[in-house]
Amino acid sequence: MLKIKNLKADIENKSILNNFNLEIKPGEVHAIMGPNGSGKSTLSNILSGKKGYDVSGEILFENKNIFELETEERAHKGIFLAFQYPLEIPGVNTNIFLKTSLNAIRKARGEKELDAIEFLKLVKLKARELKFDEDKLNRQLNVGFSGGEKKKNEILQMSILNPKLSILDETDSGLDIDALKIVADGVNSLRKNDNSFLIITHYQRLLDYIKPDYVHVLMNGKIIKSGGPELALELEKKGYENFN
Amino acid sequence: MEEQLKIDFEKLLEKSNFSKKNVEIKRENFENFIEKGFPNRKEENWKFSDINQIISKNIKNLSFYNDLSKPNKIDKSIFIDGLEHNKLVFVNGRIEKIEFDYEEKNKIEMLDDLVLEKSNKINNSLLFLNNAFVSKYFKLIVKKNYSLKKPLIIYNITNKDLISKNINLKLDILLEENSSLKLIEFSNDKSITNFINMNYNFDIQNNSVLKNYKIDNNSNNNVKYSFSNINQDSNSVAEIFLLSSGSEFIKNEINCSLNGKYASAFVNGVFILDKTKHHEIKTNINHLVENTKSYQLIKGVLEATSKAVYQGKIFVDSKAQKTDGYQLSKAILLNEDTEFNAKPELEIYADDVKCSHGSASGSLNEDSIFYLMTRGLNYQEAKKLLINGFLLDVVEKITDPEIKNLIKTFMSLKQ
Repeated sequence: MLKIKNLKADIENKSILNNFNLEIKPGEVHAIMGPNGSGKSTLSNILSGKKGYDVSGEILFENKNIFELETEERAHKGIFLAFQYPLEIPGVNTNIFLKTSLNAIRKARGEKELDAIEFLKLVKLKARELKFDEDKLNRQLNVGFSGGEKKKNEILQMSILNPKLSILDETDSGLDIDALKIVADGVNSLRKNDNSFLIITHYQRLLDYIKPDYVHVLMNGKIIKSGGPELALELEKKGYENFN
Repeated sequence: MEEQLKIDFEKLLEKSNFSKKNVEIKRENFENFIEKGFPNRKEENWKFSDINQIISKNIKNLSFYNDLSKPNKIDKSIFIDGLEHNKLVFVNGRIEKIEFDYEEKNKIEMLDDLVLEKSNKINNSLLFLNNAFVSKYFKLIVKKNYSLKKPLIIYNITNKDLISKNINLKLDILLEENSSLKLIEFSNDKSITNFINMNYNFDIQNNSVLKNYKIDNNSNNNVKYSFSNINQDSNSVAEIFLLSSGSEFIKNEINCSLNGKYASAFVNGVFILDKTKHHEIKTNINHLVENTKSYQLIKGVLEATSKAVYQGKIFVDSKAQKTDGYQLSKAILLNEDTEFNAKPELEIYADDVKCSHGSASGSLNEDSIFYLMTRGLNYQEAKKLLINGFLLDVVEKITDPEIKNLIKTFMSLKQ
């Protein structure tokens, strides 16, 4: 599904990612763990097409190079990024935003857009599954939401948009244990044979709830070790410093 | 220009049928205008919008006499659809229609040929000009205990025949005790390069409510000045909303005096400007007695080389304890060549008051755009959503749901 070859990314002449390689097959869950400044967020930004980086190498999504694609075109193809810090968008109603987003993606894929009633049915169902307060859907997007609510809102968006590849950028940060469990349940319920996850995290704790197929350790812009879920436990024990 | 002014003024007096008293007052005002001329940037009030320069740059050979002897045809297609309303229609400065079909006849009175105010009460040269050249001066009275059933829309229309003219309008509105009026001012200009000078005087008596929506939405090359003077008695409410967007230049000046206890004034507005447009909102809110309240929220979105100015003054008299005054202005600058000038002025002589002000401007947040784009919206859609959200905040302050809806339609804010 996703193949990254020799990815190199600089920002203002500072190297962030270097010789980065990764392959994710349909249905797989990969976790990338790394200390602060190892390039985790840069990776998720670049996969989503954020501007401002000097990038070279190859990113193949379903065997097509997506380098030249705009952010929204990547979203149309099924790439979703759950933000570490979801932005507050004043004046924009959450429900209306979700509908606009879903229909933009459906339209780009040549699918029928949902009308208000069909959409409300879908959003209510998903919100209940994630124990997301339905009143919040009528509020301005993320405005005045707690950290946990913002993260849950990301997962709600993910479950409504039903992407092929979901990138979760430190979704566990700032979550209490109950919220963490809800978020993990949400992710697990979306796991299917044909969609994949890239989970970017600092800590092993999220991986107690979402079992990855592969764990990769990212240091100084490249993957220094890959393995199964046991690697996360080893990392937690030793710490990043002693891992080199 | 002085020569032209004199010729046109004499012609106006000769062709019109003003009372002896008014001719006298007009002469005084005329002399005062000749002496002071158009305001320029040396005056603090006009520091950011030198109207003298703006007029000479935009209008060639401005003339002041306008033949109003023949009626103008009204283009009915410009009337607002989907909202039942009363009408007052000005075409090229001449009143063509007064229609209060929805109201009880004895509750509304329209006076004309009023005696003008004496020039020694005025300190604004554009009001001198207005008093000198205005042809008919009307006063609308809403009687005690009467609330108009439908809004009143004042259509201010100019047609193609009007070129390089100065047009002066003057209207007084009196809301007697316990009455209310929703007033929409709506302009539609087919003309170019004229100077339109408007003066409204509102008297809002005890327990009365004025809702005034000033809509400048249709793109035009005219230069405009609108001065609204509002006097409020006890427990009265004035809700003003300005949509400042269409004209090449417009300065809306709101002078509001809270003369009675528990009177409150809300002045909210949005600038949506492109090209070389230059707009200003100038407010003076005078808290003159105890327990009065004012609230001002102004937001702007500026494109190309446009420029917006907000000068907001809150004056608190030494008698005006327990005043609650608030003002905030914010602008999104979509281009490096745009300009937003905000000048808050607080002049406070009482000690037990709550007054605050703030202003911020900047470009659109690129991270917010990126966030929206990861959800499938393209750059333009993401930008539009953010801008609409930013402006919606002000529009949501409009308390009349029907008119709020109408204004959202004008601004393409319907979700």
